[in-house]
Amino acid sequence: MNSTRFTERNKEEIDRKWWEIGDYFRRNSLWMLMYCTGCCAIELPPAMTSVYDMERLGMGPMATPRQADVLLVTGYLSLKTLRRLIYTYEQMSEPKYVVGFGSCTINGGIYHDSHAVINRLDQYIPVDVYVAGCMPNTESVMNGFVDLMDLMKSKKADGWKRYHTNYEWYRENQIAALGEVKVHDEFHE
Amino acid sequence: MTNSMSNVGRINTLMGKNFSLIDAKIIDQYQVSYVLKKDDIHRALSVLKSNGFRQLSYLSCVDWPNDHEIEMVYIVMNWDEALHIQLHARIDRDNPVMDSILPIYPGAKYYEREAHEFFGVAFPGNPDYDKQLILEGWDDIPPMRKDFDPRAYSDKKFTKRDPKENFEVTDKTSKRPRQERREERANNLRTGGKK
Repeated sequence: MNSTRFTERNKEEIDRKWWEIGDYFRRNSLWMLMYCTGCCAIELPPAMTSVYDMERLGMGPMATPRQADVLLVTGYLSLKTLRRLIYTYEQMSEPKYVVGFGSCTINGGIYHDSHAVINRLDQYIPVDVYVAGCMPNTESVMNGFVDLMDLMKSKKADGWKRYHTNYEWYRENQIAALGEVKVHDEFHE
Repeated sequence: MTNSMSNVGRINTLMGKNFSLIDAKIIDQYQVSYVLKKDDIHRALSVLKSNGFRQLSYLSCVDWPNDHEIEMVYIVMNWDEALHIQLHARIDRDNPVMDSILPIYPGAKYYEREAHEFFGVAFPGNPDYDKQLILEGWDDIPPMRKDFDPRAYSDKKFTKRDPKENFEVTDKTSKRPRQERREERANNLRTGGKK
């Protein structure tokens, strides 16, 4: 039997095809990690249960960050939560996607002048899809998920790649807002 | 079940007999408010605790920058009589120190930490009153003081999104087909593909 020899170009082609296949299955079976920080989380129960039934888009809830594909940030993020969110995001296995809910993740929303709440989520972790509204209705939440699938299909949902290439920039912003990303928690130390 | 108003009367005489009250106010049959001197607070709390007010419901502060004072508020509750008592005492604002009430109400530990974090009041007697609790790595004056400007702090610390200057419609073609497509898609989502 002849051993198969891969040229560099050939290998790239095969990689690309495997990614195509992987992406096809991935976008039809998305596991969500719901980081329910704010009030937008109330839109998820109707989206998940029989009214809109998210399962028919192939989406389901997942318990741990390491097994999840999509991180849902539903609402405002205080500095304390942002620190945990960065931990969570970095734990997720690649490829990973982020959906930001509500105006709070876009520009701070009604908490734009608070001492504890960040304004723009995309300064700290890359966001693939925003669902605008305060709070967005369930149709637009579902629409956002369909948009995410479209973006994955057209290979535009590349936030996790941007996180690699611009890691220094993201880290700089995180440090500027948080001082230190490490969590000092008296209950676990 | 005893009469609520007589409970209020009983507490009123108890407090009036033992302490020099600056002010006493009966809010309703379930709430009474007393203003005391700072040094009387601990004695008052122990007296109330031995009279059935076993629960410390709340401990907080009010900032009065014009008077250069911080007002401490203690709310204790009696489960048998359905009665809340507020104790107020004013302390100096520039050097706010209030002895901890930890020996009387152990549950005050976290309230005192919170008050220290948000108002900068020191509580000697509480071993970790200055540990961080809610704000992590805070780098400014305590945020619930009246002279703290949250907007200036937010502007300084967090990147803002610049609002768009020009809101003119750039695409003058009809939006009707696009709207129809969107409605169809929304309908599709709503009904799951069924007509």
